[in-house]
Amino acid sequence: MNSSILGGSQAVAEPPQDDEYEAVEGLDRASIECTRMHEAAAAKKTASDYEHIVWSYGVLWSLFAIYGVMLWRRGARLRGDVETLRTRIDKA
Amino acid sequence: MPSGATPWPLAFRATTGSMRLPRQAWLLAKNDLRQELRDLELVATAGFFTLVVLVMFGLSFAALGRSAQPLAIPGMLWLAVAFVGALTLTRIFDRERESDTLRALLSAPVERLSIYLAKGAVTLLVLLGCCLVLVPGLVLLFPAGAVFAERPLTTAVLVVLGCVAYVAVGTLFAAGLAQSGGKNVLLSVILYPLTSPALMWALVSTRALLEGHPDLNTYLIQLAALDVLLVALGGVLFEAVLVGSTGRKPARERGRRRR
Amino acid sequence: MTRQIPIVLLAIAAVVFPLSVHKIFLETGIERQLGTAQKIFYFHVPMAWIMMLFGLVCGIAAGIQLRRQSRRAEAVAIAAGEMVVLAGLGVLITGPIWGHASWGKAWTWDARQVTTGLLWLVFVAYVLVRRYGAAGSDRLAAALAIFGAVDVPVIYYAVKIWKTTHPSNDVVGTLPPEMWAALWPALGALLATAIALVAVRARQEMIEMDVDDAWVRVDELREAAKGAAS
Repeated sequence: MNSSILGGSQAVAEPPQDDEYEAVEGLDRASIECTRMHEAAAAKKTASDYEHIVWSYGVLWSLFAIYGVMLWRRGARLRGDVETLRTRIDKA
Repeated sequence: MPSGATPWPLAFRATTGSMRLPRQAWLLAKNDLRQELRDLELVATAGFFTLVVLVMFGLSFAALGRSAQPLAIPGMLWLAVAFVGALTLTRIFDRERESDTLRALLSAPVERLSIYLAKGAVTLLVLLGCCLVLVPGLVLLFPAGAVFAERPLTTAVLVVLGCVAYVAVGTLFAAGLAQSGGKNVLLSVILYPLTSPALMWALVSTRALLEGHPDLNTYLIQLAALDVLLVALGGVLFEAVLVGSTGRKPARERGRRRR
Repeated sequence: MTRQIPIVLLAIAAVVFPLSVHKIFLETGIERQLGTAQKIFYFHVPMAWIMMLFGLVCGIAAGIQLRRQSRRAEAVAIAAGEMVVLAGLGVLITGPIWGHASWGKAWTWDARQVTTGLLWLVFVAYVLVRRYGAAGSDRLAAALAIFGAVDVPVIYYAVKIWKTTHPSNDVVGTLPPEMWAALWPALGALLATAIALVAVRARQEMIEMDVDDAWVRVDELREAAKGAAS
């Protein structure tokens, strides 16, 4: 899973053969791999956390929305009921 | 005849009255008990139901290991009490409804609180009678239950306290349901969530008893305090629930919206 | 005038909600122990507070309903009871989602989860009795609501001695100020929405009671007219 991330760092980790490269200090292959691994794990955790957040937000507001729709329909029914009542009274 | 115009103060006045309240409660309870002695309906059905539940528990949990038993026995004890209690409460008030005596009783010149106390006492007696089958049964079925036999007094206190809490809530709502001509299915719906804290307390106490936990006495005292709270609340609400007020239109007139 | 209140509240919620999202996700740091998932806290906790608040409102309104035979109180009790069920559902769903993200386990049977669950069951029972109870069970339901409100601390302590692993109560007390700052708008938006819905529901209930009475009156008048004609 980390190979794609580590692929980019391969060139850096390779010891320079000729003078075209300037040695980068303090970066050996193992520590880079370790860093990348932690970064990947953290990114994955954050992504999963955000997924959880979106789900819970969605659930919460859709609950409100569903209740709102139920109230709306109830109101419509009530209005109809009042209309029938009014016609009934007018007839009487 | 006390009119229903002032729902709550009556219940309070009843508590400050002299010997009237206990005497009325005793008379009402005696009446119920006499009828019960005549046909033994409640004791027979509830007792048999307890036995059946006990056998079911035995069949289901016979293979339970010795270490798991102290965790399972409290659950069995109080679940059985909850089931039997609901059954008994339903039956007690069904009987009133069949002969429409509850309404007559409510319009009679007796304190409403004494009705609550009398019905609660009868239910409690039936429930305790069932526990006389239940607890020895658990002792026989499960080795870990031997503690019940070793400390009979503590066990008795625990069972009484737990049953009182259950009955305090149950009597109020069973009476209310019988009065409103309601469906008894709702009794379990109401009763189990409302009594869950009391049953949980009883559960914890029972586990403490079985495991010889030092906090047992604290739990028992807390359970007793909960009993007092529940009985007081039930007594205060009983009249308001059953009688309501004359200032309001009868509920029957407003039944239309159920359609 | 009173008709406008829900609309105003919903408008406020519509403005405050984006603000709260901005605050929660862009201006507040990530909590060190619980990570990003802790952001669920900002609407999980207000939802729990809303549930408790309306549970209390329902119990008090039911008490007034029993004592004074007030229709307004009855309508408020019904509306608040339904809001408890709704908010409780929100708490009970977002809680395990947060738990799954932070503890790796959705339901751990800890004290506050169980307390919320039991309280939710009590109010579901209330709504069921209101809906399916026979005529005249309104007072019974009111007693149920009062018991439910009184049960809140009892249930809490019962569950506490039963078992506990939840972060203790003072988590909210020791919150850094920036997290408080993010909590208030979220609470505001949710509370405004909840109050608006409860107000609408209570109004509907009162209208419904009036309409029921009117129907009964019409029926009575018709019966009387029929009796006079024959």
